[in-house]
Amino acid sequence: MMASPTPGLTAALRGVSKTLRRTSGQPLEQHFQTLRLGPAAVVPGRRRCMATETIETTRSDQPGAPANAKSDDRPQRAPSNTDLLQRYNFPKHARPLPVSRSYFCRTPTFTDRYIKIHKLSVAYDHLPRNSLQHAERVSWKSLDDVKQSFAEPVKATDYADCLRLIKVLHRILPSLCPPEVTEALQDFRRDTQDNRNVANPIPVDPHGRALGVGRRKSSTASAFVVEGDGQVLVNGKSLVDYFGRVHDRESAIWALHSTDRISKYNVWARVQGGGTTGQAEALTLAIAKALITHEPALKPALRRAGCITRDPRTVERKKHGHVKARKSPTWVKR
Amino acid sequence: MPAPNCLRCLARPPPGLATPVPRTAAAASPLLNRPAATPIGTRTRAHAAPFSTTPAPAGPPVKPATPVGSGGHNRVGKKLKLGKFKTDRAAERSKVPLPGERKAYRKRITLSNDNALPVPWLADLTPSSLADPANTATVMGLPDSLQDQLRASDAFKPSQSWGMFRKPAVLVRKETVDLVNRMQDAADKKQTLRLVVTGDKVTGKSMLLLQAMAHAYLNNWIVIHLPEGQDLTTACTEYSPLADTDPVQYSQPVYVFKLIQAIKKANENLLSKMYTAVGHPGLPQSITANTSLLTLANVAKEPDAAWPVFRALWHELTHRSVARPPILFTLDGLSHITRVSDYRSPAFELIHSYDLALLRLFTDGLGGSLRLPWGGAVLAATSRSNAPRSPSMELALAQREAEQLQREVPKKDPFFRGYDERAEASLRSVQVLPVGGIDKVEARGLMEYWAASGMLRATVDNKSVSEKWTLAGNGVLGEMERASLLTMRV
Repeated sequence: MMASPTPGLTAALRGVSKTLRRTSGQPLEQHFQTLRLGPAAVVPGRRRCMATETIETTRSDQPGAPANAKSDDRPQRAPSNTDLLQRYNFPKHARPLPVSRSYFCRTPTFTDRYIKIHKLSVAYDHLPRNSLQHAERVSWKSLDDVKQSFAEPVKATDYADCLRLIKVLHRILPSLCPPEVTEALQDFRRDTQDNRNVANPIPVDPHGRALGVGRRKSSTASAFVVEGDGQVLVNGKSLVDYFGRVHDRESAIWALHSTDRISKYNVWARVQGGGTTGQAEALTLAIAKALITHEPALKPALRRAGCITRDPRTVERKKHGHVKARKSPTWVKR
Repeated sequence: MPAPNCLRCLARPPPGLATPVPRTAAAASPLLNRPAATPIGTRTRAHAAPFSTTPAPAGPPVKPATPVGSGGHNRVGKKLKLGKFKTDRAAERSKVPLPGERKAYRKRITLSNDNALPVPWLADLTPSSLADPANTATVMGLPDSLQDQLRASDAFKPSQSWGMFRKPAVLVRKETVDLVNRMQDAADKKQTLRLVVTGDKVTGKSMLLLQAMAHAYLNNWIVIHLPEGQDLTTACTEYSPLADTDPVQYSQPVYVFKLIQAIKKANENLLSKMYTAVGHPGLPQSITANTSLLTLANVAKEPDAAWPVFRALWHELTHRSVARPPILFTLDGLSHITRVSDYRSPAFELIHSYDLALLRLFTDGLGGSLRLPWGGAVLAATSRSNAPRSPSMELALAQREAEQLQREVPKKDPFFRGYDERAEASLRSVQVLPVGGIDKVEARGLMEYWAASGMLRATVDNKSVSEKWTLAGNGVLGEMERASLLTMRV
């Protein structure tokens, strides 16, 4: 009986005084038995409600408790109400209480979930958990996201604590994780999971070519890299014909140069857009990506050589009142 | 010592000078440093041009001499002087190079560098070494006498980096061996090799021509080299119509005069041992039979006689009755001559390059209508850096190359009018030698030579060789040089 949900019990206790008043003359056991939980006390789905209604246990059409009450029919010698109230220290008046304690706060949506997560973490503390490395990587909502999605002000400390519990719950082994935990955590996941955003692996096609694409400034380069002896063709021209500066030529094959692979691969590339520097550096990235397909172990070396990260710098836009992005017009006296 | 300027001009007294400088005083000091002798408004300069007649522009202005005996009654009033606080820039500037000095500096050819290390294993070229395939991918030095001959015939170019090494040396490539063997075959069979060396920029076309000349000199051929086709067609040398020619041909006396001097200097040994087969009475100095060809060449004492002497020399060299050595006739910068030249006829019509007599001789040789009875080769090299568009030449070379490789022959564009029939005709049956990048073995040989000379301060291994080879667009020689020698990497 006591394992039944607490809201039912509290609701029952709330209605006790009224019941006592109505069933004056009944023995105490009888009173208590009428206080047993009926289905009406626990209304599923009603969470934020004032428990002002009393439980109609005495009515004959009630299926549960009245039946018990009728079976225990005893002689009608009963102490007065005041005696009982005094003896058992019952409150004189029923005080309406909310179903959830979040009724009293400004953040009911969040607090409800917080309470639930707290209970779940207590309830499933015994379940085995993954280590941190092996748990699925999930991006949880930030404080701002939570405030926005629940449309409530949320305290940072509360959310920090909540997030701590969430992370603990999240580490429960997926095979043993109860569905209600999964469901409860769902509200705190971000809508877009950047960890799941894995780049598609570049295949090496049946001819042994790997296609990498790189960008820099407004240039785009796509490079086919095959095993070979160090020949490079850019837009159908040799490296010297395409890039006049020695520096640009070096930039273009920097990925191969820095990993000592110049004599091992041939490159056939198409470049478009931008100027010579942009095209050369777009080629660096394109060749590096294609090279990683052939030899994935080269990735750290290439990252150290600066061939992995796309340079995000582009031309700054022109501003009004300026001659260029930053340049001010010449100062003229009057 | 001749006076640097026209003395009479400088000795003329300035207009403001009442009493003229006595003529004798001016003549006594040939350098004429006296400011009084300078005309008003001109400026003197410490170093006058040795052959300039114009007044020198630089130097501090000289104040006009105070009129002597004028009594000072015509006082000059106040004059407006603009920018009087500005310092005279010309006075501050240091010595200005003499006229022609800059060009001489630009065009100078340095063949050695004392700071470069001598390479102990560098072997000199021998008469047979360029034809030997075993020498492929090795660098070989040019012997001193050969250097003189090549220098006399203008085979070295200022853009080639001879000045980086202790002594001039060349890389023997596969193409070199191929070309030299073809030349030697033709000479042995008393045939004429007609060949055009073509290829991308800085792939070594002129250098291949130089190697062909080196082989010819070492094997006692007669070499006639026209170092730039441009010199003959851009109307920068004198020309005159030749009598008894129809259509009219034009000779270029000054150029031919210099050419004869170069031929004489480069082939002196050979020419002095050969003797004329027939007499040449029409020349300024009558030449009888059995005179040495050097004497014949020496007849050209001035440009006017140059063309007849050249004709006579050519006649002697290609005379069938006497045994003569093979001839190598070369020209660099072919696209300049396969088009209409910048010269104009008396009717102010443009003259085709093939109507210039010297070029006519060359193109006849290249086209096959002129045979060398004692064998030899007529070689031309294209140029990519300084070359006007010559669509017929490009098309003809592409066609010949496709024919050699038995590929589909490119066709003429029927809607294009810029083709030149005469150029096409002369290139109809030539051989084409395409020159591309060197292979990695050759690149390694070259880089080892650079490293041994102390010019390349890096380990020469497979990694560095293939790096430079790729950076140079699959072994383009000039680009390899640019990527490894001409960039400062410390």
